[in-house]
Amino acid sequence: MTGRERFLKIARFELPNTFFLSTYNHAMWHKTLERWVEEGAPKEILSSTKARLGYFGFERIGMVHVEASFLTLGKTGGPPFIPPVRPRFELKVLEEDERTRVIIDEGGRKLRQYKDDPQRMPAWLDAPVKNRGDWDEYKKRLDPHHPERWLDPDWGAYAENLSQRDYPLGVDVGSFYGLLREWTGAERLMYLFYDDPELVHDMIAHMEYFSTEIIQRVLKDIQVDFAVFWEDIAWKGGPLISPKMFREFMMPHYKKVTELLHRKGVDIIFVDSDGDISELIPLWVESGVNGMYPLEVAAGMDAVKLRKQYGKQCILWGNIDKRALAKGKEAIKEELDRKIPFLLSQGGYFPGIDHFIPEDVSLENFQSYLDYLREHFAS
Amino acid sequence: MEVDYLESIVTAIDEGEAEQVAELTQKALDEGIPAKELMERGLVRGMEKVGEKFKEGVAYLPEILIAARAANRGLEVLKPAIAKSGLKPKGKVVIGTIEGDLHDIGKNMVKFVLQGNGFEVIDLGVDVSAAQFHQAVVEEKPDMVAISALLTTTMVNIPSVLETLGKTGLRGGVKIMVGGASLTEEYAQEVGVDAYGEDCFQAVEIALRFMGVTS
Repeated sequence: MTGRERFLKIARFELPNTFFLSTYNHAMWHKTLERWVEEGAPKEILSSTKARLGYFGFERIGMVHVEASFLTLGKTGGPPFIPPVRPRFELKVLEEDERTRVIIDEGGRKLRQYKDDPQRMPAWLDAPVKNRGDWDEYKKRLDPHHPERWLDPDWGAYAENLSQRDYPLGVDVGSFYGLLREWTGAERLMYLFYDDPELVHDMIAHMEYFSTEIIQRVLKDIQVDFAVFWEDIAWKGGPLISPKMFREFMMPHYKKVTELLHRKGVDIIFVDSDGDISELIPLWVESGVNGMYPLEVAAGMDAVKLRKQYGKQCILWGNIDKRALAKGKEAIKEELDRKIPFLLSQGGYFPGIDHFIPEDVSLENFQSYLDYLREHFAS
Repeated sequence: MEVDYLESIVTAIDEGEAEQVAELTQKALDEGIPAKELMERGLVRGMEKVGEKFKEGVAYLPEILIAARAANRGLEVLKPAIAKSGLKPKGKVVIGTIEGDLHDIGKNMVKFVLQGNGFEVIDLGVDVSAAQFHQAVVEEKPDMVAISALLTTTMVNIPSVLETLGKTGLRGGVKIMVGGASLTEEYAQEVGVDAYGEDCFQAVEIALRFMGVTS
């Protein structure tokens, strides 16, 4: 059985007690990788996904080469992140001190970055979209058909090559909250829901257009295995907006996108959101989304409880507590023993860490996590 | 008439109507309602009502933000009258996100809601070092320090704030509360801070408790 076949069977609850362990949901902050290189890992892991895949023995998973979601410009899959604008804004350094620099990034946001670690999350200083006029300008850069968005110069050959693959392939299908926050700023977006709801509706409607155009073009030539929304729409106290707002502003657009995906044969649709998403899961399920990650433990998410609550309505991915990896072997063993046997026995679960792996996790601890998983739970 | 103004302010805060709160507050002042009463039974009561709705799971962050904005708008109008009446803030809080951490949404929420509840808040911003917290305690003489940390890798900088204050004998004179995504009650106890706030309204409850005020 190929990795692709196994991934699909696990996601469809047809293959219990089996796992698929990939780079997906095993992302590391750059500082973590630097630490691991100091602890003996090859330096290539700092700049190459392929090197991390090889060194840690992960299985391959691919994403279609189109810029349709929150993008990483970092070599390790982390920050800098930017919205999928084309053309990109010119990167400008506005000022700097000993430790930090203030920039306008490629997404048009004014940010403060650490000089010693530009791949650390920056501070927000200002956002490009403050009002309707700003949005009318900004959305010109969100044309789904902009040629630079389609990263492979020979799309036909690229698509043909993918038809022979033996690994799972996903497609990013945008966002109805997370990306808006990236160009308005988090607080301003919360105010806009009340101060200018029509503008929020317009932005979300444009994102539906953006996503559906991309999906139609991709699925015309490529059979993808799964789709991913990116939202980060929760904190540890719950959703960042009310379920009522979600239902009013976002759900109709989710449904349009998921219905299109279903019509085109894509039945595995994930949403990526940190925080406590408990209240939103039933709304996503109603919207046609059937997979959630990374299920952040520090925010109270528990995949075991979710599996019991939702049965086969949700594919679950992640939920291994990053803090356990920092504590050591016993904590890792305890975390895995509590969750993995049950979750694998039910199917529809992929092991993964509940967020980027922080720098307080040693290489030895991460390796012992992988070893314990493989030695005790591989079928 | 007096009760109508106060109730209207509470309702306008609950609905996030900032300009209405400002207008009502000004009219109430013009009518001779004392600043203390407007503060306590108007602005603070309005924020309490939103806090109750948050606890009940009816209000979410956008509702808290617009309510806090409305209460702070009322506070701006009320400030000259407060100064004139000699009414003191309920307490003084120095707030900041810990060194190495550039996240500020949670910290800002706590600041807005504390202000809306009658506290004076000195905001040190993000990436605040132990030395900067120490300096602010020396200069501002706050009743409490509120420290935010989003990341597991930055919360480890919190103990150095305690150490720095301890070394100069200032620790005993100031209460310290912490909050943020990576923090827990257990961690707060382990490092020896005075309280952990789960959210912005719990932060207010803690601040009131520190000041010996019951909400």
